[in-house]
Amino acid sequence: MSDMPILSLIIFAPLLGALGIALLPSSRPSLIRFAALGISLITFALSLGMLLGIRASGEEFAFSEQLAWIPSFGITYHLGVDGLSGALVVLTTLLSWICILASFGPIQTRVKEYFISFLVLETGMLGVFLALDLFLFYIFWEVVLVPMYLIIGIWGGADRIYATIKFVLYTLVGSLLMLVAILATAFSHQAATGSWAGAFDLIVLRGTVVDPTLQILGFAAFALAFAIKVPMFPFHTWLPDAHVQAPTAGSVILAGVLLKLGGYGFIRFAIPLFPDGAHLLAPLMIVLSVIAIIYGALVAIVQTDLKKLIAYSSVSHMGFVTLGIFTFNQQGVDGAILQMLNHGLITSGLFLLVGIGYERTHDREIAKMGGWASRTPVYAALFGFFLFASVGLPGLSGFAGEFLVLLGAFIANPMVAGASTFVMILAAVYLLYMYQRVFTGPLSPFLKGLGSHLTDVTPTEIMTLAPLAAMIVVFGVMPSILTSSFAQSVQMFLMSAISTVAR
Amino acid sequence: MNSDLLTLAPLITVIAGAIAVLASDMITPNRNRAPIAVALAALGGAAALLINQGTSTATALGGSYVAGPFVAFLGLLGISIVSITLLVAPAYLSARRYPSAELAATLLFALAGAILLAAATDLITLFVGLELMVIPGYILAGYAKRDPLSTEGAVKYFLLGSFSSAILLFGIVVLWGLSGTASLSGIATALAAGRANAGLAVALALITTGSAFKIAAVPFHYWTPDAYQGSPTPITGYLSVGPKVGAFVLLIKLFVIALAPLASLWIPVMVVLAAATMTLGNLVALTQSNVKRMLAYSSIAHTGYLMVGIVAAGAGQAAGIAGVLFYAAAYAFMNLGAFAFLTALQGRPGSTTQLSDLAGLGRQHPRLALLATIFLLSLTGIPPTAGFFAKAYVILAAVQAGGPATILAVIAVLNAAIAAFYYLRVIVYLFMRDPAESANPVAEGPLLRIGLLIAAVGTVALGLVPTPVIEAVVQALAR
Repeated sequence: MSDMPILSLIIFAPLLGALGIALLPSSRPSLIRFAALGISLITFALSLGMLLGIRASGEEFAFSEQLAWIPSFGITYHLGVDGLSGALVVLTTLLSWICILASFGPIQTRVKEYFISFLVLETGMLGVFLALDLFLFYIFWEVVLVPMYLIIGIWGGADRIYATIKFVLYTLVGSLLMLVAILATAFSHQAATGSWAGAFDLIVLRGTVVDPTLQILGFAAFALAFAIKVPMFPFHTWLPDAHVQAPTAGSVILAGVLLKLGGYGFIRFAIPLFPDGAHLLAPLMIVLSVIAIIYGALVAIVQTDLKKLIAYSSVSHMGFVTLGIFTFNQQGVDGAILQMLNHGLITSGLFLLVGIGYERTHDREIAKMGGWASRTPVYAALFGFFLFASVGLPGLSGFAGEFLVLLGAFIANPMVAGASTFVMILAAVYLLYMYQRVFTGPLSPFLKGLGSHLTDVTPTEIMTLAPLAAMIVVFGVMPSILTSSFAQSVQMFLMSAISTVAR
Repeated sequence: MNSDLLTLAPLITVIAGAIAVLASDMITPNRNRAPIAVALAALGGAAALLINQGTSTATALGGSYVAGPFVAFLGLLGISIVSITLLVAPAYLSARRYPSAELAATLLFALAGAILLAAATDLITLFVGLELMVIPGYILAGYAKRDPLSTEGAVKYFLLGSFSSAILLFGIVVLWGLSGTASLSGIATALAAGRANAGLAVALALITTGSAFKIAAVPFHYWTPDAYQGSPTPITGYLSVGPKVGAFVLLIKLFVIALAPLASLWIPVMVVLAAATMTLGNLVALTQSNVKRMLAYSSIAHTGYLMVGIVAAGAGQAAGIAGVLFYAAAYAFMNLGAFAFLTALQGRPGSTTQLSDLAGLGRQHPRLALLATIFLLSLTGIPPTAGFFAKAYVILAAVQAGGPATILAVIAVLNAAIAAFYYLRVIVYLFMRDPAESANPVAEGPLLRIGLLIAAVGTVALGLVPTPVIEAVVQALAR
């Protein structure tokens, strides 16, 4: 391994950048914007370098870093990256610079505070994906909350304060119970071995939790925290509010990365630590996933607000992620991870596009739109592209993930797969119906009234969308690029997910 | 005798400091800086002496005063509390033409009481220390003597405080009579040997009630909101931290040490009291629109979290006491910081602490608002701050203790989520609302700034690098 602490660099580069930006004068917003963009691009470059290194390493976790932090309790600063977390780290760093670039125009007030918040958020998210110590993981998990709270609460829409407090309280309830479970797990290790060494270390703890009560309650507490974040039905009600009120970049990062923290948490922490509890509660998780898939799609059909429609489509799409995870077979888990990455690319694109439209119309009411394509063909074409990707058109990346999840579900339980397959039709219904109402037909009076304000996408906006579109095509044609990159992670997950009772 | 004086040196330094403060005020009256400087010098001297005593134990006063790491830790914590209060208060007091010298002297006397309390090994020294610590509190609560609210709060505090002291004293006397010894460890030995009878229940009930008053546990909390709201803001900060930490030392000495053999009797009571205290404190804090009163109720909730540690300690987990001590340190910095922030807001006599007074402060005074955010996040328990690690510590102890303590831990974290709502609401006003038309002028002054900064550094440092304090706490408990 190289001696350079590249993971720490990746995590803390945005934070250091945020501190640097704090020293810049508020009176020079464009300097601040480009500084933030530069920092996020550096982080992106670092993460790409890391990605190449993971391939070269033969170990489960590459670039491992471990330093004593709170030795009295065996808490260490332990980082490591594998194919799964590596892919999510790159997704995070990619979306971060895209979001920062996409915020150049829309964010005009308190620019400095905004970019500081965003960079701190990036540090938190990267920390969650790279931490291998439960305590450290929890700290990054909570650190994510504060900047997101500020981003929605300061730069959000009219009901931003309600939405942001709801977001924080929902997340906190789940995560605080997870804290109790983390401490209980650590203590059970200490009680069993007589030492605190490794009591918070995921690598040490995997497969050692034998107490059946702790298996069930621990899994339940972790699952609640992650289910709220994903969000699974019925814990999803914070999501539409947060999405609608958040500024565009906030919605993008929320859908693109924050929801993935939940899915990642299941795969990396909840199930490997508590496989028995996971198997016991898997039927419930599968039922909730199927409900989320169907319910999210049905509710999306009747939405009148563009952003809310996409928010509910997220609930449906993320249902595939949890469904895939709890099939406990390779197809399902491969599909779940693919779905996480693809949802990150596709839904982020859709939220960016809705934001671009909102910049021109200051409205998201579907009923007021109509015939938009006749005025801004490029915008309409891009919207159509991301929309078809979201529907799951074969050849675009959305298809592969859902297909594999359904395949995995079919192996596990054909009934479940049947019910979920039906929803792929619903997805086509709500998305195409929306597209038809917004973009086709004669130009609506509202859009006509905007006159020359209704411009097509700018080069900057294309720069934010182009990388996403390119990746959607590449991963659509060759999903094996992704699946091979995290194949080892999936194998390790499936091994650790075997119930200790069955062993 | 000579070694007695050496052992008692920190205590003597503090008392001598108090007298010197009064003397300096007589020599140069109406000079606010001089008494503060004298007091800080005395605190520095006492701190040096305590650090020196921190590695070994020594006894004085015929064994009823034991100096050592435990006293050193609590003494240094007390010195920090008093120092921050002394740095923060003068700006507020002088704007209202209240003297600073009396504050400094009174605080030093209270600190002497706290040191005595921490060092006490028998019931009498313990009670003397307790009273020496709390009586200055009554005086301080009535510091704004021209303000009827302050006087009302002080009278309530005094009446309920003396009442509870009497109940506690009665319980102590019964306990002494039944066990035949005043020594704390002697009582534990006697109780463990089974010399118990019905009278013990009376003693336990009286001691529990008296202590519950002192820590302001529900339902014995009624004096707190009025005493806290009526007192001048920096003094409220002190009252919400200093006497509370002291009262928890009392709990450790009485319950965890002396009454340890009866733990199975008092743990259920303590569990119910703790659950009620944190839940009611938080629920009532939710409804407050005055930030100062909100913090008063939230301090009741923090009492509940601290009691979680006492319950765990009663169940035999040393980590429980360690958790209480760590929590006390974290709570001291974050809560003093929050009150220092309120003090800074009240630059002018008559300025209020309504939530609406905070609107838009993030724009007008970004640095002050940032510090306030750190304190509020820490009080909420968001990492990486002191408040988070403190909560994790007591919860860890409770999880180790198992049984009812684990349920209490779950209640505690759910309460933390309730508390998040009202702490974050303050942040909403700071950053997400437009400034009010007539904002309070913010108090200035280098001392206030230093005080705020010390509290902030403490709050962040205890969260990021808790290890030195954990080691100090663990060492303090190792006999």
